[in-house]
Amino acid sequence: MRVVKVYVNGVAVEVPEGATVLNAIEKAGYSVPLLCYLDGLFNEATCRVCVVLVNGRVVPACRFPASDGIKVTTESDELLRYRRTNLELLLSTHRIECWSCSRKSGCELLALSKQLGVEGIPVCAECPLAGDSCLVARGEPCLGPLTVAGCSAECTRNGAPCTGCRGFITRPEVWKSAAEFYREHGVDGKKVEVAMRFFWASVPDHLKKIALGGAP
Amino acid sequence: MLQDSLRRFIYGSKGFRIRIPIASCSLAAGAGEVYQAALKAVDRLGIDAEVYRVGCTGLCFMDPWVEIAKEGLPPAIYANVKPDQVATIIERYVSGDLSGAVAVRFKQGGERIPSLDELDFWRLQVRFVSRNCGLVDPESIEDYIASGGYQGLRKALSMRRDEVIETIKRSGLRGRGGAGFPTWFKWRVAYEQESDVKYVICNGDEGDPGAFMNRLLAESDPHRVLEGLIIAGYAIGATKGFIFVRAEKPLMADRLEKAVEDARKAGFLGKGILGTNFDFDVEVYRSAGAFVCGEETALIAAIEGRSRPRQRPPYPATSGLWGKPTVINNVETLAHVATIFQVGVEEFTKLGTEKSKGTKMFCVTGSVNRTGVYEVPIGTKIKTLVFDIAGGPPEGRKVKAVQVGGPSGGCIPIELADLELDYESLQSYGAIMGSGGLVVIDDGNCMVDVAKFFTGFTLAESCGKCLPCRVGMKVLSEILEKITSGQGTLEDLDLAQELGESIAKTGLCALGGTAPNPVLSTLRYYKHEYIEHVLNKRCPAKVCPKLVNYYIDPNLCRGCTQCAKVCPVGAISGSPGKVHTVNTEVCVKCGQCFSICPFGAVKKV
Ligand SMILES: Cc1cc2nc3c(=O)[nH]c(=O)nc-3n(C[C@H](O)[C@H](O)[C@H](O)COP(=O)(O)O)c2cc1C
Ligand code: SF4
Ligand code: FES
Repeated sequence: MRVVKVYVNGVAVEVPEGATVLNAIEKAGYSVPLLCYLDGLFNEATCRVCVVLVNGRVVPACRFPASDGIKVTTESDELLRYRRTNLELLLSTHRIECWSCSRKSGCELLALSKQLGVEGIPVCAECPLAGDSCLVARGEPCLGPLTVAGCSAECTRNGAPCTGCRGFITRPEVWKSAAEFYREHGVDGKKVEVAMRFFWASVPDHLKKIALGGAP
Repeated sequence: MLQDSLRRFIYGSKGFRIRIPIASCSLAAGAGEVYQAALKAVDRLGIDAEVYRVGCTGLCFMDPWVEIAKEGLPPAIYANVKPDQVATIIERYVSGDLSGAVAVRFKQGGERIPSLDELDFWRLQVRFVSRNCGLVDPESIEDYIASGGYQGLRKALSMRRDEVIETIKRSGLRGRGGAGFPTWFKWRVAYEQESDVKYVICNGDEGDPGAFMNRLLAESDPHRVLEGLIIAGYAIGATKGFIFVRAEKPLMADRLEKAVEDARKAGFLGKGILGTNFDFDVEVYRSAGAFVCGEETALIAAIEGRSRPRQRPPYPATSGLWGKPTVINNVETLAHVATIFQVGVEEFTKLGTEKSKGTKMFCVTGSVNRTGVYEVPIGTKIKTLVFDIAGGPPEGRKVKAVQVGGPSGGCIPIELADLELDYESLQSYGAIMGSGGLVVIDDGNCMVDVAKFFTGFTLAESCGKCLPCRVGMKVLSEILEKITSGQGTLEDLDLAQELGESIAKTGLCALGGTAPNPVLSTLRYYKHEYIEHVLNKRCPAKVCPKLVNYYIDPNLCRGCTQCAKVCPVGAISGSPGKVHTVNTEVCVKCGQCFSICPFGAVKKV
């Protein structure tokens, strides 16, 4: 089989003709974020978070064919910006209900959001929500559903409700579905607000208006 | 075209021909009725004249157009003819009275009526591919052959395939459907593929709002497009060709279908074309049509029965329809191919610029006096096209910008009117040639609103396959909505810029790749308008409804009560003869009072 020689971040590797840029990147020992790609099942390149530069052009690594002599760049400020923007766009339509999501902490979206520093996923996604270990499910005014993930949920896993120290998620939809979650478990909205006291001043007005929990 | 054959088309075999363009656009303007009226008039007047159907000239502002030509008299052109005027016009013409004609095709003596060549909108055009439009009967293969048609095919078939490709390479022809890709290159790639099945496709989707040069060309001279397609098929060694047309353009599809049938009968299609061993046939494919279907990979998918773009490479030239090597060319590109082979490469290369040879048809719409389709050499200045040819804006209006390249194009401020219309210049100023749509925007328009309009269009047409286009365009249009309703912030402008760039770079197909252009180009040239909306909550052009208030000038109001009557929400009070007032709390800003006031007393503030 014919092979082609590809330079990944300056490292020369050989891959069989017909391989993708992704194959070359992996062979060279680098990696790129992937979301929609599933080896052997899906390679329509629709999420566009795996973008890399091939001879200066932005292309999706998971699908773009490797050809002889191409120069691949996997990291740059520009690429980071595109990946982050696309991830944010994905999150902007994502129904965030990490507290009841079956993926639990195995969520690639969360992992990538953390890696790229994208806000939008709550601490609940990190909290191993096994049965009654969820503090909200036990009726506590835990701020996990509203707080930006990234802390590995040290507090909650040790039984202390989240106080929102990482700052609040600013998307109203997340607040609305969190409010529902509190209500479902009979958590008093007043108590949630009290729990927020340290950071209440930094909550934008339009979010303050969303009634958190309490009797419907 | 030779002067002789030109005369023949103009006067016809009887020496007396009344030519009426019949195409979708002129039919909409009433040409069908005019045609019937002409038939009746000829009958009633007992004149031995042919009433002859021809294609469209592209001079939409003159539709319905009637051209009467009798040997001995100069062919006279009448514009905006109403059915009841036809008989009189003919009667007068026969008696040598040309009054009412707007032009003569050429002068015979000392007529005072200008000839077409003395009129800027004609004189400044170079009608290379559109040479037959308005002259021949689009449904007559004899007419086409008499104009030199299928000579190009004959010439091409006498050459080797690679010589045909070499000829197109020498011509420098670039695709007229979008990116201006060198036509010979695609052909060469497809030619070099080893495959016993190959396809050529004519892209006649033309889904941009406000563009119809492809439809006009295919309806007026369908054989030229077909001839180009057959030559392309021969060049790459294809066995079958498709012409992709939207079902909502039935006349275009019908005429192409008729052309295919007639060409088949005449031996230009089928087995052993013109005595060679080249077998080739063509099918007209009517699609449901969506803007994205014009994109080549989506178009292929549509013929296969799906319809979404896919990541390239592989390019269609290596793996296209049903995985076979496929060349896709635009309607106008193929018409150029046929014409180049008919009249010779030199006739083509002497037109245009160093990098882009030949001519391009532009569809000029919007705020101009002479809406129409005009063919000019590539490299013609924007101002020539907008002012000299299309006649500039209506009385009292000032041109502000031109949107070139349709919804995927960009807005170019009129201050850059000296810019030459070619692929590279347009791109460097944030627009694209696209298929040649050019919308003239005047000072009555808000540039943020213009950007919002095009963004709304591409958002609706996004196929939804890839994330940046599907969600990004939605967010972009929400940002514009926010700005035009006075809720925007300066951060929103930065966000729009960043998001736009990201969509353009990471979109899967060129729809997403170009969709942010209207936003990016208006942000580039008209940021001050955005800032007015954001900081002062004002729409300088007084277009964005949420930022406009209506007010009745007491000095002009005569108390006629018309505004109060038309107001759907009862926001206007006042009694007959008394000054009226608008209650801005109740007003829903529909603008009806503004349009109806006979005294211009309703003002926007
Ligand atoms: C969204 C979108 C719409 C398009 N629409 C058309 C169209 O209507 N007609 C056309 O010829 N090309 C259209 N194109 C360009 C085609 O993909 C392709 O480049 C073109 O048909 C190639 O022909 P050419 O090389 O002769 O220009 C479109 C491209 C995109 C991305
Ligand atoms: S860029 Fe838009 S139209 Fe093209 S594939 Fe992506 S979603 Fe579809
Ligand atoms: S992983 Fe989604 S486009 Fe490559």
